[in-house]
Amino acid sequence: MAESSRSRRHRLLLTLRRNLFASPLDGLITLVLLAVCGSGLWFLMHWALIKADWAVVYENVCLYFNGIFPADHVWRSWSWLAVLAALCGLTLWPWPLPRPLMRLLPLLWILSLPIGLVLLASGLGLEPVRSRFWGGLQLTLLLTLGTIALALPLGILLALGRRSSLPLLRWLCTSYIELIRGVPLIAVLFFGQLMIPLFLPEGWTFSRVLRAVLSLGFFVAAYMAEDVRGGLQALPRTQLEAARSLGLSPLKTITLVELPQALRIALPALANQCVASVQNTSLLAYLGLIELLGISRSILANPSYLGRHLEVYLWLALLYWAVCILMTSLARRLERTLNVTGHH
Amino acid sequence: MSLSPVPPRLRQPNWRRRLLPILFQAAIGLLVLGAIALVLSNLQVNLIRRGLGLSFDWLGRPARFPLAQGFLPYKTADSYAWAFVVGFVNSLQVVVVGLVLSTILGVLAGAASFSGNWLLRQLANVYVAVARNIPPLLHLLFWYFVVFTTLPGVRGHVNALAAWLRLPISVEFMALLVGLTVYTGAYIAEVVRGGINSVPRGQWEAARSLGLNEGRTLRLVVLPQALRAILPGLNSQYINLAKNSTLAIAVGYSDIFSIVNTTFTQTGRSIEAFVILLLGFLVLDLLISGGMNLLNQVVLRRG
Repeated sequence: MAESSRSRRHRLLLTLRRNLFASPLDGLITLVLLAVCGSGLWFLMHWALIKADWAVVYENVCLYFNGIFPADHVWRSWSWLAVLAALCGLTLWPWPLPRPLMRLLPLLWILSLPIGLVLLASGLGLEPVRSRFWGGLQLTLLLTLGTIALALPLGILLALGRRSSLPLLRWLCTSYIELIRGVPLIAVLFFGQLMIPLFLPEGWTFSRVLRAVLSLGFFVAAYMAEDVRGGLQALPRTQLEAARSLGLSPLKTITLVELPQALRIALPALANQCVASVQNTSLLAYLGLIELLGISRSILANPSYLGRHLEVYLWLALLYWAVCILMTSLARRLERTLNVTGHH
Repeated sequence: MSLSPVPPRLRQPNWRRRLLPILFQAAIGLLVLGAIALVLSNLQVNLIRRGLGLSFDWLGRPARFPLAQGFLPYKTADSYAWAFVVGFVNSLQVVVVGLVLSTILGVLAGAASFSGNWLLRQLANVYVAVARNIPPLLHLLFWYFVVFTTLPGVRGHVNALAAWLRLPISVEFMALLVGLTVYTGAYIAEVVRGGINSVPRGQWEAARSLGLNEGRTLRLVVLPQALRAILPGLNSQYINLAKNSTLAIAVGYSDIFSIVNTTFTQTGRSIEAFVILLLGFLVLDLLISGGMNLLNQVVLRRG
C-alpha cells in the first residue's frame, strides 16, 4: 500500500517535472507564468468580490435580455428566449431522445424565427409591438437568426452561380462576392441604415431592424458563398460523373448529389460565419439599434452607474461568449449527427 | 454548376442546348439591368426631392471639423479632400502597426500551443478561446474605457511615449491598436497552429534526433516549412484587421470611416462619401494583398 502510494507520488512528480520543469528555461517560464497568472487572478478576484459594484448588472437584467420591451408584454420576449433555450437544450441533449422528437428538431429550428416574429411583433391575437421597442439579447438573437436565414440560401445560390458555366452569371456572382468581401461591415451597415431609404420608391419604408437584417444578410452571404464554394470544390469529380451516368439532370445533380455533400464539408466554416454574425450584430449599437451592446451603452450613460464599464463589459463578454460557444457546440452536434446518418 | 464536358459524340445536335443558356443569360442580364435602372431612378427622384444632385464639387470646400493631430498636418480650413487623405493615412498607420504586432502575438500564441510546458499551452488555448468569442467592438471598448481612460496614469504614459518616439500617438490610437492586436492575434494564432499542424510529425522527430531543443526545432525546422500553409491564411486575417480598423468610430479615432461619417452628417453627401470609402478600402486591400503576394513569392522561391 505504502509502496504503491509512494510510486504514485513519484509518478506524479515525474509528470509535473516533464510538463512544467523539463529544462531550466522551462522552469523559469513556468514560474514567471505562475506569478503573472496568480497575481492577475488575485487582482481580478479582489476586484470582482470587493471593489466591483454589480448592481449595474443585476438591477438591469430584464433590460439586457429584453431591451425596452413594454412591461405588460415582456413575457412574450422571455418566452421566445425560453423557446430558443429549450431548442438548444433538446439539440445538445447527450442521451438518446425519442425518435419522433429527433425528426421534428430541424423543423422546430426553422420555425423558431417565425415564432419569434409572432411573439415579438404581433399576430395570433397578440397586441402589436413596434420594432423600435425590441432590444437586448432578444434583438441580438433575432438579428442573428434573421441574418443566417437570409444569408445561407443566398450564399448557396451565389456559390453555385460562381461555379456556373454561364459566363454572365459567373461574372456577376464573382464581382458581387469580391466587392462585398473587400468592404468593412460597418460601411455596409451604414449604407443599409442611411442609404437604403434613398433607393426605395417614394412612400416605401423599411424598419430599422429589417434594414439591419437585409444589410447583414447580404454581407454575410458573400462570405458563406466562399465557404460553400470550398465545399463544392472539395467534392471528388467521380461524384459528378456518377450522377451523370445515372442520368440525373444538372439541377438534380446539384440538389441531390453536390449540395448535400458540399454543405456537410463546409459546415465548420459556415458555423464560424454564424458565430461571426453574432459578433457582427454588435456594430448596430452605433447605428441606432438597442441590441445587447446598444442597451448597455444606454445603461452606462445613466449617471447612477457612472464609471461601471468593467462590470458591464465583463457581463457582456460572458453573454456573447456563451452564445458563441453554444452555436459552436450546436454546429458540432449537427456535424456528428450528419456523419452518423450520412454516408457510410 | 460546373458541367464537365460531355464527349462530342454523346452531345445531341440540339438547338435547345445552345440557345437555352443564351436566353437564360439574357434574362438574367435584363433582370439585373432593370433592377439597377429602377434603383437609380429612385435614387435620382429622392436626391432631387432633397435638393442634392450627385457631384464631387464639395470636396474642395473647407471641411471645418477638427481632427486630432496625426501624421499629416491638418487645419479646419483645409478641404474635405485633404481630410479624407488624413483619415486614410491614419487608418494606414493603425493597420500597419497592428499587422506587425498581431503577427508577433499570433505566432507566439500559436507556437505556445505546441510547447511542452503545460501551463504555457493552456494559457495560449484559453487566450484563443476567449478572445475569438468576444466581439471585436467589445475588445475596443474594454481597452478604451477600462484600461486607457479609467486607469490612473496610463494617459500620462502614452503621452510620454508619444513625446519620446516623436510620433502622434494618442490614447484613442493605443486603445484601437491594442484591441485590434489582441483580437486579430487570436485568429492568427489559429492560422499558425493549423500551419504547424500541417508539417509532418517526422520533421519534429528528425530535428529532435539531431539534438535540437524545442525552441530551435520550431524556429529552424518547423516554422519555415509551416510558412507556406500560413501565408494565405495570414493574408485574409490582415484584410480583416484592415476592415475591423473602421471600428475606430467606437473609440473616437479619426480613421477614414469616421471622417466619411462626419462628412455625411455635415453635408448629407452619403453616396459620394460612400464611394470614396469604397475606393479607400480598395486601395488598402490591394496594398495588403500585393505585399502578401510579394512575401509569398519570396518564401516560395527560398523554400
